[in-house]
Amino acid sequence: MTETAERDEANDEPLPLAGLKVLDISSFIAAPAAAVTLADFGADVIKIEPFDGDPHRNSYRNPGYPQSDRNFPWQLDGRHKRSIALDLKNDSARTILDRLLARADILIVNFPPPARERLRLRWEDVEPINPRLVYCSLTGYGETGPDRDRPGFDVSAYFGRSGILDAARYEDGPPGLSLPAQGDRATAMTLVAAILLGLRRRDQTGKGGWVGTSLYANGVWANGTSAAGALIGAQLPARHPPDRPRNALTNLYRTQDDRWLQLLVVRDDRLWEKFCAAIDRSDLAADPRFADRPQRRAHALDLAAELRSVFAARTYAEWECALEGTGIPFGVIGRLTDVIEDEQARHAGIFVDTTNPEIPRTVNNPIRLGFATPRPAGPPPAVGQHSEEILREAAFDEAEIEALKKSGALG
Amino acid sequence: MTETGLPLAGLRVLDISSFIAAPAAAVVLGDWGADVIKIEGPDGDANRTIMRDSANYPKAEVDYPWQMDSRNKRSLVLDLKQPAARAALDRLLAVSDIVICNFPPPVRDKLKLTYEDMKKVNPRLIYASLTGYGETGPDRDRPGFDVTAYFARSGLLDAQRYEGGPPGVPVPAQGDRATAMTLVSSILLALVHRMKTGEGSWVGTSLLGNGLWSCGVIAQAALVGAFLPPRPPLDRPRSALGSIYRTADDRWIQLTIVREDKLWAPLCRALGKLELIDDPRFAEIDERRRQSAALAAIFRELFATKPYDHWREALAAQEITFGVISRPQDIPDDVQAVHAGAVIETAIPALPRTIANPIRTSFAEQRIAHTAPKLGQHTDEVLGEVGLTADEIKGLRSSGAVR
Repeated sequence: MTETAERDEANDEPLPLAGLKVLDISSFIAAPAAAVTLADFGADVIKIEPFDGDPHRNSYRNPGYPQSDRNFPWQLDGRHKRSIALDLKNDSARTILDRLLARADILIVNFPPPARERLRLRWEDVEPINPRLVYCSLTGYGETGPDRDRPGFDVSAYFGRSGILDAARYEDGPPGLSLPAQGDRATAMTLVAAILLGLRRRDQTGKGGWVGTSLYANGVWANGTSAAGALIGAQLPARHPPDRPRNALTNLYRTQDDRWLQLLVVRDDRLWEKFCAAIDRSDLAADPRFADRPQRRAHALDLAAELRSVFAARTYAEWECALEGTGIPFGVIGRLTDVIEDEQARHAGIFVDTTNPEIPRTVNNPIRLGFATPRPAGPPPAVGQHSEEILREAAFDEAEIEALKKSGALG
Repeated sequence: MTETGLPLAGLRVLDISSFIAAPAAAVVLGDWGADVIKIEGPDGDANRTIMRDSANYPKAEVDYPWQMDSRNKRSLVLDLKQPAARAALDRLLAVSDIVICNFPPPVRDKLKLTYEDMKKVNPRLIYASLTGYGETGPDRDRPGFDVTAYFARSGLLDAQRYEGGPPGVPVPAQGDRATAMTLVSSILLALVHRMKTGEGSWVGTSLLGNGLWSCGVIAQAALVGAFLPPRPPLDRPRSALGSIYRTADDRWIQLTIVREDKLWAPLCRALGKLELIDDPRFAEIDERRRQSAALAAIFRELFATKPYDHWREALAAQEITFGVISRPQDIPDDVQAVHAGAVIETAIPALPRTIANPIRTSFAEQRIAHTAPKLGQHTDEVLGEVGLTADEIKGLRSSGAVR
C-alpha cells in the first residue's frame, strides 16, 4: 500500500481510481484482467487465492500457449496486485474475508453460482456485511437459466456458443479459431464498465449493488450484427475461401515470402487498367474475360487464378513498393513478430515498459485518459506474498495472524 | 428523453461518429439512461445503408444493423462544414456532458472538432475519441476499420488459422463492438474524474489497441520472444482433449478440458470407452500429448456415431467442460441467451427482439429499444432545447446548415 501511495504522489494528478479497494476472488482471465485494469488506474487490488494459487499462474505451461520459460500470462493478469492466500473452505478464513469485505469498495467473483452459494459469497450474502459494496460477478452463461452452473471458458462460451466460430470460417471449412483468452480480455472491458456504473450509482445513492456480465453475452454482443440479423431470420452469407472468391479484386493472395496481401480494389470500375499496369500484367486489361466489372465477376475464378500466380512471384516488400502510391488499396495480414516493433503501436500506447527485468514490456490496457497514465507494472505477486501486510491493514494483530496461520485458514 | 433511476440519466451525449464502434458506445450510454443526440451530415451516417452496401452482411427487409446501433438516439442533421452549423454545434456542446468523435485527425482539425477546440466552449466536457491506429504516429490519419485495424494489423487474423491455411476471417463488426465497451469504460472513468475535480477531459482508444488487448496473451508472449506455433489441422491437434469434433448430425463439439488430470477418466466414461481409461498409450498427460493424433482419431470416430444431443447429455453428466459451435441461427431459440440478457425485447414492431449490451446490474435495467431515428428527425426539437429560436432554426435550414 505504501508503494502505491508513493507512486500516486509521484504523479501530477492522482489516478482516477486511487483510494478504491478491490477484492479479486476470481481465477483465470476475464475477471482478473478487469481487476488489472482497475489497478492500472490506481485501485488497490487484493487478489485472494487458494494456497496453491490461481491456476492461471500455470497457464504458460498450456500447450496451446506460446512456449516460454517466463510466466508471461501471469505478468499480464497479475500486475499491480497484492496476494493473500486464504482457504475459503476453512471457517476462520471467513472471519478474515468478512473483515476485508467490510472495508472493500469492489468485489470481483467468477465462481460458478453453486460455489458462490456454498462459500456464502452471493451478493445477498455479502450485502449485510457491506451494503456499499459494488459486487461484480462474471459467469460463463448468465446468472440464471439451464446453463448457469456450467463453467464457462472463452472458447466455449464467448466464441463457440455465440455463433462466432461457426460464422468466422470459409465455406465448407472447419469452424474458425480463437486465440488464447481473446474473448476473456474483451469481456474484461465490459466488466470494467459495469463496475464503473456501479460506482456511479453508489455515488448517487450511497448504495452498493450487483453488477455483472457473462462471456456468452459478450460473445453475442461481439457477434451482434449477425445475431441481430438472425433474430429476424437473416442469414450470414457463406464466406468463400481465397481460391474461390466472389470478387477476385477484393481477396487475399499469398506472396512469395508467405505473407498474405489483402487486395481491396472496390472501385475496379476506375482502377482496373491502372491495377493491371501496376502488377505488370497489361495483357489482363486486354483480356475479353475481364473487360468490365460484370465480366470480371463472372470470371472471378479465372482472374483469381491469374492473380494468385502473379502475387506468388514476388515478396510482400516488393509488392508494397510496386503498389504504394498507385491508389490501389491493399494491406497485409500483420504478424505479431512485426507488431511488437510497430512504430504505430508505440504511438497508440499499446505496449509499455515494466519494472520487471524478466518481462520488460507488457500489453497496456486499451483505455487512454488525457488526465492520467496507467501505473507502471512491476512483477506480479507470489501466492500469499502480502497475506500478513493485508491483514495488518485490516487491523488484525500479530497474535490473530499467527493463530490464523496455525489454523490453516491463512497461507 | 432521459429516464430517472438509470445510472446515466441526466447526461447529454453528442454522438458525432459514424459506422460502428463509436456509435455502439453511444448506444450503451443510451441504454443506461443518457440522452444521446446523433449528429449527422446531410447524407446521414453511412451505417444507415451498410446492410445493403456490404456483401458480408445478412440481408433482411428490416434494417437491423442501423436499428441496433442507433436505438434510443435522436437525430440532428448539421452540415459541419458550414460556419453557421458549426456555431450551432457550440451551443449544443455548451450544454452537453460527453461528445463521441471518430473523425480521422485531419478532419477534426479542419472542422475544429479537436478536444482543444471544444474545451474552450465547455471545460466540463468529456471528449471521447476513437481512432483506427492512435492519435499520433505515421498511421494516425488512416481510416481504420475493424477488419484492417483490429484484426489484420494486430496479428489476430494471422494467428487465427490452421497450419498452411489462409488467415482467419472475422464476423461483421466483431472488433468494433468489443471496442465499444472500452470506449464506454474510458468515458465512465472520465465521469469519475469530473466528479472528483469538476473538470472535463479527453479520453479515447484505438481499434488497433483493442485488437492487441484482446490477443494480449500472445502479444505479451511475443514481447518475450515466444510465438504461437501454427495451429495444427484437426487430424493432428496438439491436445486431443482441446480440439473439436463433428457429431453424427453435422454439429461440432468443442472439448475444452483444462484440468485433464481430473477429467480424463470421466471423459472416457462419457464417451463410453472405459477401456481407454487405463490404456497405457494414453495413461498420462505426456503420453496423451505425444499420441494426440491417434487419440483424436479415436475421438473423431466416436463423436461421429451419435448426434449432438446425445453428447451434450453424456458430457454434462460427467461434468466435462465442452462447448458447441452454435450457428447464429441457434441464438434466437437459445433460452440461455435470454437468461444471459443477450437477447431482449424491443418496442419496435418490425424488429421485436434485439441484442442487449452485455452489462447487467441489480439496480437498473437497460432502456427498452425504440425505433432508430430517421435522418434529421429531431433537428428542431434538439436545437429548440438548447435555446435556438424558431427563427434561428428556420434561418439555418434555409442556408442548408441544418436539415
